[in-house]
Amino acid sequence: MRNIKISSKGKTTAVKVPSENDWGLVVEKLLPLIRPGTILAVQGNLGAGKTTFIQALAKALGIKRFVPSPTFALMRSYKLPKTVNGIHRLVHVDAYRLKDELELQVLDLDEELSDGKSLLVVEWPEKIEKWIAARESRVIRLKIV
Amino acid sequence: MAKKVLDQRFKVLSIETSCDETSVALLDYAERGTQYAVRLRHHETATQIPIHRRFGGVVPEVAARTHVAELVSLLDRAKIISSGKRSTFDAIAVTKGPGLATALRVGVEAARTLAMLTGKPIVGVNHLEGHLASAWLVPENRRRWEFPILALLVSGGHSELVLMRDFCSYKVVGRTRDDAAGEAFDKTAKLLGLPYPGGPEMSKQAKTGNPKAFDLPRPMLKDKSLDMSFSGLKTAVRVLVDKLGLESKHAVRGTRYDLPDLCASIQAAITDVLVEKTIRAAKLHRPKCIIMVGGVSANSELQEKMARCVKAELPDVRMLKPPSGFYTDNAAMIAAAGLWRLRKGKTDAWKKLDAEPELDL
Ligand SMILES: Nc1ncnc2c1ncn2[C@@H]1O[C@H](COP(=O)(O)OP(=O)(O)O)[C@@H](O)[C@H]1O
Ligand SMILES: [Mg+2]
Repeated sequence: MRNIKISSKGKTTAVKVPSENDWGLVVEKLLPLIRPGTILAVQGNLGAGKTTFIQALAKALGIKRFVPSPTFALMRSYKLPKTVNGIHRLVHVDAYRLKDELELQVLDLDEELSDGKSLLVVEWPEKIEKWIAARESRVIRLKIV
Repeated sequence: MAKKVLDQRFKVLSIETSCDETSVALLDYAERGTQYAVRLRHHETATQIPIHRRFGGVVPEVAARTHVAELVSLLDRAKIISSGKRSTFDAIAVTKGPGLATALRVGVEAARTLAMLTGKPIVGVNHLEGHLASAWLVPENRRRWEFPILALLVSGGHSELVLMRDFCSYKVVGRTRDDAAGEAFDKTAKLLGLPYPGGPEMSKQAKTGNPKAFDLPRPMLKDKSLDMSFSGLKTAVRVLVDKLGLESKHAVRGTRYDLPDLCASIQAAITDVLVEKTIRAAKLHRPKCIIMVGGVSANSELQEKMARCVKAELPDVRMLKPPSGFYTDNAAMIAAAGLWRLRKGKTDAWKKLDAEPELDL
């Protein structure tokens, strides 16, 4: 069981996710809010369910490939078989191993997102809060407790 | 027969810069009839672990910048150009992926430049194939090497079961659905307040602990698939630490509960899954040999448990030696994998070779 708070444009919604198979409940609430360029900041402790949620999101976007934890790789991207809300690609970043936003340089994230057609999901967004906050108008925050 | 690009005698220069390590190697290869000899002539790795340890994680920005500086001096020390301005190598192998794009590019661009200047053949190597080849660097393993081989590749970023039918012919038959085994070690170690990298620290602690002290989940252990899952361990260990009424930062002192017991129990959960899935894969795919490669294969508990179970359940299967000295990322294994490709006449055009951060096996 996990409690999730979704904050977007000053509005906050709470969702309960009874089991690891129920993240579709959150995905359902999110889909109408996401568009190309959206940044989903997914916050929660070690083992909160961040990656599990992103796996459910990827599945809902039609992605068939495995979505493993990107902690070691730092970043993985997935092409959508069909565009959803104008989104062509899902970029999954895990900032767990980063010290701060300066270290994001190595990912060339702005270049990675320059096509303007990607959805970015970030685990451990608090590690790169300045980078996220500078793009606040595009950010949807998810907090798992 | 593949076209011959090289004589039966050649030297491979290899470069690895995919993540934490900058490494350069020179490997000699000589072939006569069906016999061949392999000799590691030069191998040097500049590890960045000490820098990273200060921050408790890998620092890619530092990593990419350090790779550039290190690589030039490593190449210089490898004496790849003799005094007569002739190169001392016959071919170049370089890691092209998977890994960090910016880090990979440092190695790939250096290798391409060398290929352009010397006109020598170049081959891009999959880092994972490099890990598979690391077991082949052990001379005793080369003598006992026989396909099909089942490989358990376990590291910070990978937990894969790979069926090798021949050199350069691989099939991933099982993999982790979430966290890698090395990641599970590191993250649960973090929950216990152990310093980075958590894996080695945890197995040190586990030596004096009771692996049955705490009952931890072994998800997917009994189902038929060859896939694995380690993400549940984090939650289970967090619940345990909370129940034991301790902040994880105090846990490391081990004053209120037995840290060795916890470490031994976590290690047992991870290694049980790895061993059970390997045995299951072997029963299904009937390999002649089993190898274990990657950083986690250095874990002695995993080595002993695997050897014991293979002996008991698969008496006809040969357990080859773990690649001692080549566990973590290194250029020697990239040279070996490059050599496998070169022997089959596989090369790349330097103009086209590029880093492939998302490469799979
Ligand atoms: N809603 C939920 N209720 C109960 N357990 C969950 C839920 N979501 C995920 N889990 C479990 O939590 C564990 C850790 O999940 P994971 O996604 O790896 O966390 P994180 O990425 O935040 O570290 C997994 O075993 C997963 O099955
Ligand atoms: Mg995660």
